[in-house]
Amino acid sequence: MRDSPLQPSPCTAFRLSLACDLAEVRPAAQLVREFLAEQGLHEEEFIPCELAVAEACNNAIQYASDSGRQQPVIIEVVCNCANVELRVQDHTPGFDLPAKVRLPKRDSERGRGLFLIRTLMDGTTYLRGKNENALVMVKTRFHQGRHPAPPGPYNWEEAKQRLEENERVIRHMARELCFRSESLSAIFRCSSELGQTNNLENFSRRLLNDLLHITASDWFVLRLILPGEGRLALFAASEAGFHPEPLGLSDPVRSFHSVEVEAALYRRDVWFDTQRPLTADDPLSAMWPASTGLVRPISSGETLIGTLAVGKNSPQQPISSEQAEVVHTFVDFLALEIVNARLQEEQVGSRLVSHELEIARDIQQALLPRSLPQLRGLGLAGFCESAREVGGDFYDAIQLSEQALLLVVADVMGTGVPAAMFAAIVRSLVRAMPEGTRQPSELLARINRHMYEQLSDVDMFITAQLAFIDIKKRSLKAASAGHCPVLLAAAGRRDIKILSPEGVPLGVLPDAVFADETVKLGRHFRLVLYTDGITEACNANGDLFGQERLSQWLEQAIPLHSTADQLKAALIAELAGFQSGSIPKDDQTFMVLAEEGSGGTSRARKRPR
Amino acid sequence: MKIQHQANTLNVSDVLELGAANSGSFRDEVRAALPEKLDAIEIDLSQTRFLDSCGLGALISLHKGAVGHSGGITIRLLNPTPAVQQILELTRLHRLFEIVRR
Repeated sequence: MRDSPLQPSPCTAFRLSLACDLAEVRPAAQLVREFLAEQGLHEEEFIPCELAVAEACNNAIQYASDSGRQQPVIIEVVCNCANVELRVQDHTPGFDLPAKVRLPKRDSERGRGLFLIRTLMDGTTYLRGKNENALVMVKTRFHQGRHPAPPGPYNWEEAKQRLEENERVIRHMARELCFRSESLSAIFRCSSELGQTNNLENFSRRLLNDLLHITASDWFVLRLILPGEGRLALFAASEAGFHPEPLGLSDPVRSFHSVEVEAALYRRDVWFDTQRPLTADDPLSAMWPASTGLVRPISSGETLIGTLAVGKNSPQQPISSEQAEVVHTFVDFLALEIVNARLQEEQVGSRLVSHELEIARDIQQALLPRSLPQLRGLGLAGFCESAREVGGDFYDAIQLSEQALLLVVADVMGTGVPAAMFAAIVRSLVRAMPEGTRQPSELLARINRHMYEQLSDVDMFITAQLAFIDIKKRSLKAASAGHCPVLLAAAGRRDIKILSPEGVPLGVLPDAVFADETVKLGRHFRLVLYTDGITEACNANGDLFGQERLSQWLEQAIPLHSTADQLKAALIAELAGFQSGSIPKDDQTFMVLAEEGSGGTSRARKRPR
Repeated sequence: MKIQHQANTLNVSDVLELGAANSGSFRDEVRAALPEKLDAIEIDLSQTRFLDSCGLGALISLHKGAVGHSGGITIRLLNPTPAVQQILELTRLHRLFEIVRR
């Protein structure tokens, strides 16, 4: 008859303690076998169990530590209708149970024990503690339906002994079950809180306080590696007054010993106790000098996230293997939550940044003139391309009369919304002060006076180029606030005139003085104003476009293109060709003014190159 | 355990168990009994109720010695019990030893 899942399955247990001597193993394994046979197990079930227990005991004895040889090896067997759990407790330094155990070479005389255990059993786990570990082996019963052999006529002593044994095993199991269910409920409780508070620090503190409670420990120290830093910085500690310095992980020479650094560097548990106490210079020993405990590295995949130290103040009660197991579970869970929280933070951060960039781009676009003034015989074209991290470039053209025009190109040093805001202010000031516009240097000086304070408050500055064009007088008056030069070309002249009047950027000196440079405009002149995003455009090799290349381009482009729009299109194409494949790092802005009268252009076109 | 020598064959029988506690002495006793001239060692496993990884180690050690012996000695395992046969198969050692049922 199969048990329905609702009925509690009858469970029997058996406990055996043997001296650390190989000769004791066989009789003990035989007792296990007899016990299992009594429980109604089939031969095909109890023979593998007998062998697995023997192999586990052999290992426990062969690898026992010096102090472990004085202690007994303990076998516990718990048997119910569905399976048999065999538990062998050892006092060895412990080992890492591999996920898959391979057979040794055929002629090797050793190394088959673990393979046999893995092969004969249906489940194997190894619980590690401080000098005390437990190998837990589970065998699923397939021959069900046989009832346990009816208990023989026990005498009173025997029955009492069995009862005591069972009670001991059940107490042990209940303790472990209690650990596990407490861990689980603590984790659930903290997870549901995490969803509400979204505060990793409070969450960690609560979770770790629960851990202290479950493992009967007194204190914890959680250190995390802050992204981008190779240091373990305190994140949370049970003691509010504990404020240790961050611990560097890459220091070649450390003047002190730290169990936390050791755990982080070697990525393994580091225990401290009476035999291997915390050294006096260990940061932990300042707060908890004579304690016992362990430090567990916290990692996510290959990445180290931090360390968790858990300790007890009483050296008599070190952390047991079950308690260490609970610490491991909590650390795994914590690692998951830390990674999640950081991902979330990053996402929120990048959303904010992209939103800010959007606003900045909107402002920048709004600053650009929707249409450019049309003066007779003059063609005007402007171009402004924002980089991914929007800067503060803009251009403007203000018509002052039938024959006078003011051109502005400016570059606010900075990115995002602040840069765009300052660009807006400069643009407004230029447009609001038409009286000074025939004197670009004076206009720059006034703008500087208005903006100096705000700009220097935020450590920003602006470079700007003003060009005042009077067609009637055929003159160009330019002033610069630390900006790129103006390029001027004229029909029939091979050379390009480069105007770069003296002047510091706006926001650098409170009473900055600017100079005007005045030149005569030749027939069919072409004027190019630009920002450094053009000359600092990079190609795939990292070469800059440069002012020389720009001048050369203009020189050879003049005979080919007669209008401002054509020149603009040609320069855009030239830039695109040059920086093909690489993404511009800075805004790229330029303006072209061209005299487009009849005759001059056609003559220019006919000019042999 | 009984060890008999007849007609260039060493017969080992009455091996009740071969585990961590006795595998070393088993190996040493068989080795000590090896005569100068020998063709085969026959180990009767029909009475063997228990064999663990240490016992396997002792058998492998004897096998290595036998291969190195001048002229070469065959090691035969006679009539292993089902439990022992299973261990030999699990560890793929049934291919190393000659297993005979008679």
